[in-house]
Order: sequence, then structure tokens, then C-alpha cells
Amino acid sequence: MLSSSSSKPPTQQLLQSADLISQGAEAAIYKAYLRQFSTSGHGIGHGAALEALEPVLLKYRFRKHYRHLSLDTSLTRQRIAGEARALMRCMRSGVIVPGIRMVDVNEGVLGIEWIDGKSVRQILPGGAELEDISELGEVDEIHENGAADSIADYGVSRGRTVRMLIGSYSTSVDALMDMIGVEIAKMHLADIIHGDLTTSNMMLRKQTSDLVLIDFGLAYHSTLVEDKAVDLYVLERAFASTHPDSEPLFAGVLSAYEKRMCKHWLPIKKRLDDVRLRGRKRSMVG
Amino acid sequence: MPGRRRESPLKNPSRAYIALGLEGSANKLGAGVIKHAVDGSTEVLSNVRHTYITPPGEGFLPRDTAQHHREWALTVIKDAVAKANITMHDLDCICYTKGPGMGAPLQSVALVARTLSLLYEKPLVGVNHCVGHIEMGRQVTGAQNPVVLYVSGGNTQVIAYSRQCYRIFGETLDIAVGNCLDRFARVINLSNDPSPGYNIEQEAKKGKRLVPLPYTTKGMDVSLSGILTSIEAYTSDRRYRAQGSPCEESEDIITPADLCFSLQETVFSMLVEITERAMAHIGSREVLIVGGVGCNERLQEMMGIMAQERGGLVFATDERFCIDNGIMIAQAGLLSYRMGFQTPLTKSTCTQRFRTDEVHVAWRS
Repeated sequence: MLSSSSSKPPTQQLLQSADLISQGAEAAIYKAYLRQFSTSGHGIGHGAALEALEPVLLKYRFRKHYRHLSLDTSLTRQRIAGEARALMRCMRSGVIVPGIRMVDVNEGVLGIEWIDGKSVRQILPGGAELEDISELGEVDEIHENGAADSIADYGVSRGRTVRMLIGSYSTSVDALMDMIGVEIAKMHLADIIHGDLTTSNMMLRKQTSDLVLIDFGLAYHSTLVEDKAVDLYVLERAFASTHPDSEPLFAGVLSAYEKRMCKHWLPIKKRLDDVRLRGRKRSMVG
Repeated sequence: MPGRRRESPLKNPSRAYIALGLEGSANKLGAGVIKHAVDGSTEVLSNVRHTYITPPGEGFLPRDTAQHHREWALTVIKDAVAKANITMHDLDCICYTKGPGMGAPLQSVALVARTLSLLYEKPLVGVNHCVGHIEMGRQVTGAQNPVVLYVSGGNTQVIAYSRQCYRIFGETLDIAVGNCLDRFARVINLSNDPSPGYNIEQEAKKGKRLVPLPYTTKGMDVSLSGILTSIEAYTSDRRYRAQGSPCEESEDIITPADLCFSLQETVFSMLVEITERAMAHIGSREVLIVGGVGCNERLQEMMGIMAQERGGLVFATDERFCIDNGIMIAQAGLLSYRMGFQTPLTKSTCTQRFRTDEVHVAWRS
């Protein structure tokens, strides 16, 4: 991991030269360009000495003025470091995540690989044609906010290219749900909890049609069945609240997850049922 | 948003409507009279409340609270009707809290509502307590389509309107924020008069030291029970001085004021954070804070800073409308009554669990 801590000016310079892509609740997202070195040190398999500038995504956790200064500082440091740590762990276990390019905890900047593609939320029905409350734009999306009319460029993996047209929706969406389930399972097998699984935080990469999990801002390491079940539950709620009438989609995610988790699935399933019943989440009539 | 909004299904009334609202889901008993005039304006004719206050260190128990409501119901309702300068015969409907809340107090108030309905032959309207808060907040502040942070002793929810339903985007996974504050107030023996939350707020103003506490946001949800345990543990810390004055800065001590300060800063930061996430998620620029904890000025201040940084607006109300009251039940009830909704006597039950998103919001487009 290439770390440019201690050097304050370079990070600031980089931020100044970068284009603001979006300003989410957590952080501002910039697109900047890094020169690729031929020397190793990236830890990712870009061996060739390319002169081309590599686009990177800078995640700048700016200061939140509503928070007490010391609380804010420690949270920002924790979250930047935690995010980098979680990404590294995922990468080692073969989960498809963006590669790390730079970390600066003091400035609150994390630089990761630029993923060219669309978020699953934009691809799925209901997510992009946001209803009345969400018409204002300024969505927490990282990449371009195009309408989700043409999804034809996004093939779906497993060798054959399935076009996501209305007629063949169910099969191709199923394949997408399958990939989501598999990636989450790989991540959970590595004992990483994402903490904010939503359809906005998954992207379909343009060139390879890989499903990439993004935004590990709330991720942490845990072996507990409870945390994994809550992670799945958060995703279930996100599906229900972002894509109305698409609860069967989540069932597809779960079945792929189940296959991948093998023997680890049963305790998680039991706990997931508990989590669903727990507290005030569900009306318990009768 | 102006220009983009569809026509409201709620037409201006052909005559003035007057409704009585009865609220008693927790330790506040409220009665209020509201009037919807022909020109579409809304007027609060009266808003009377009586609170059941327990001694320091004690919470309110369902049975005693119900007892309190039964004792005060007639006084409070008579007072509300007299202040509104109407008679019971002028009413169009009687609105009561159907839920959520504590069972026994809810039942007492529902019984009063049923009795009045039969006595004066007025239709009943059962109202969801949370929707009452939201509708009154929108009415008082004029917020058009805000993200709502509903924070009270029994509820902590981030809500946004969509397709005739108030959808819950985030909420507490365990205890409510008001419950967390109230229970801590009991631990350090703060008075329950006028409310434990208010006394925590005053105490917190004297606090200087921020003790580390868990920071438990989970997506758009929060978990608060662990924070309560953690802050309670500080009261048995060696450095804790129950009588300590916060001015002795040089000493390494923790005072009750410091704990109140730390608790508020941490918990409110979490609430503002999930609200901000919800705003970013759905692309809204307005926030409305409702519920009893909503009258905490520090929470309003923090929310204001957040909204300002996003170029948005924050709406909050004062204690008359934030804390449980009868007028909000009347407002939400009258809105649904004007859309043709009534609760027949045989179905005029109440329920402890009644989620905000179960209500069909017929009066909005």
C-alpha cells in the first residue's frame, strides 16, 4: 500500500487539482490522476510501466462542524484507517473491491482505484427513476448519474453476455443478484462486515461486468454471526426501501449467499430470522 | 417541490371543520381543538396538556400513568373546549391516539374518546401518534417535503414521505433516544420536572470533558443501549464525582455534567449523521425535527449546522408542539377525516405497536 502520510502539501495539492464528482453525506468524492510508477509498491498486478495517468477516486472526509472536534477527529481517523484495512483484507480474500492507491489519515483522504461503471441501484428498476422524494438529484452516487435506460453495455458475467432488456429481465437480474450474493459471502467468509450494504454501494464494472463492492466507510472486522446477519438485514431493508416491490430480488441474493457460505449459512440464517423479529423493526400484530 | 408537485388530493373544505384531539400514549395527557377554515388555513383553538411527573430516580409505570390520565381527562378536555370557545356540539369529529404507546394509558384515553363519541354522536378517528407528530410539524413550520427525524421517549426514526406513505429510512435498533436520556437522568438522580431530557440539556451546558463512548451508527440505523450501559459505567469510575463541580479543570475528575455533555454530543452526532445520510440518499434539503427530544436546542443547533453545510433548511418546533400534545392528534385526525376516513366504534381499539409506515397518507399527493 502506497502511503503518503506525513506529507501534508501533496495531498492538499492533489485535492486541489481534482474534480469534485459528488458530495455525499460522509465525504466529498473527487476524481484525480496519479502517475503510474513502474516500480512495484502498489501490491496490485499492474506491472507494466505505463506513462498514462491513472484515474483515482479520492474520498475526502471533510470536517463535520456539527460534531465535537475531538469526536470528529478520532472518528475520521478511525474510518479512513478502517476502510483501508477492510479493503486490504477483502482483496487478500479475493473479494472484488477497488484497489487502494493512497491513505492519508491526518488529512482524511483515501485514494482508491477508479471503477468505470454504474451502481446496481441505477441498474435495478425503481432505483434510478427515483420517485417524487428523490427527484432532486444530488444523490449519494459516486459515478455519473445517467438514467438507467440503456443497460445493454453491461453484460453479466459467467461467460455469456446477457442483455438486460425488459423481456429477459428476470434471468439477467437473477444473475446480478447471484453475483451480489457471492461477493457478500466472500466478504463475510473473510470476516469483513460492510456495515452499509445498499444497492448504491455496489457497482457493475463496464469492461468486465464484475460486481464490485464499494464504500467500506462503515466496514469492520468481526467473526460474529450477529454482525453478518445484521449486515444482510441492512441490505434487505435497503432493497425494500429503494426498490419497491422487489423483495424477491433479495431472495435471489440470499440463495447465492447460502450456496457460497456452505456450513456457515445455517447459524447466520437463524440469526437473520432473529434480527428480523427483534425490536421494533416489524409490527408484531396478534 | 414547487412546480413539480402533483395536485394535492385534499381540497379546501366547503365549510369550517373543527376537531378535538386526545393524546395519552405516554405520561402526557393532552387535549387540543383545531379548526380548518374554508380558505384552507388551519387554526389552533386550544392546546392543553397535563404531565404525570414522577419523583427523581423513578420512571412512569403504565398503571400509574393510566390512573393519572383517568383522573385528569375531564379537567383537561373541559379546559380545552372552554379555551377554544366552542361547545362539544360544534365538533366534527373526535380524534384519539390509536398507537403506538403504552397500553394502559392508551386504553384509558381511547375509552374517554369512545364515551364522548357516543354521548355527543360524533364520529371517531383513530390516529397514529408518529403521523400526528409529522403532520403537526409540517403544519407549524410550513416545511413542504422534509426528511423527518422523529425523536422521543419511545421512538427514534428517520422518515421520508413517498407514495402516500411515510417510509422509515432509519431507526433505533434497540431503545429510543429519549429513553436513553431519561434512564441516564434517573441514574444520576436528575429531576423529572419538567422533563428529564430538559434537565440533562441544562446539565450538559456545564459539561466540558468529552468522555469516550461507543459510536454506533449502523447504516441508517443507530443502536443506543450500549451507549447507555457505557455511560452508566462511568458513574462507578474512580474519577467520577457525583457532587463534583466542573470548574476544577486541572483535576482528573468526571462530573455528572461532563457525562450529560458527552452523552448528548455522541448521541446527537449519531442522529444528525443518519439524518444526513437519509437526506443524501433521497436528495432532500429539508429536515424537520419532531418529538419530545426535538425541543433540545443542542440537537437543533447541530442539525442546523449540518443543514447549512448542505445548503438546506432545518425546521423545528417548540415544546408546545414537540412534546406530545392533543392538537397534533386533532390535526392528523382531521386531515384523514376530511379524506373520508372514520374509525367505527367496533374498531376503535388501540395498539402498542403501530408503525408509521402502516398508515395510508390519503391527504398527500
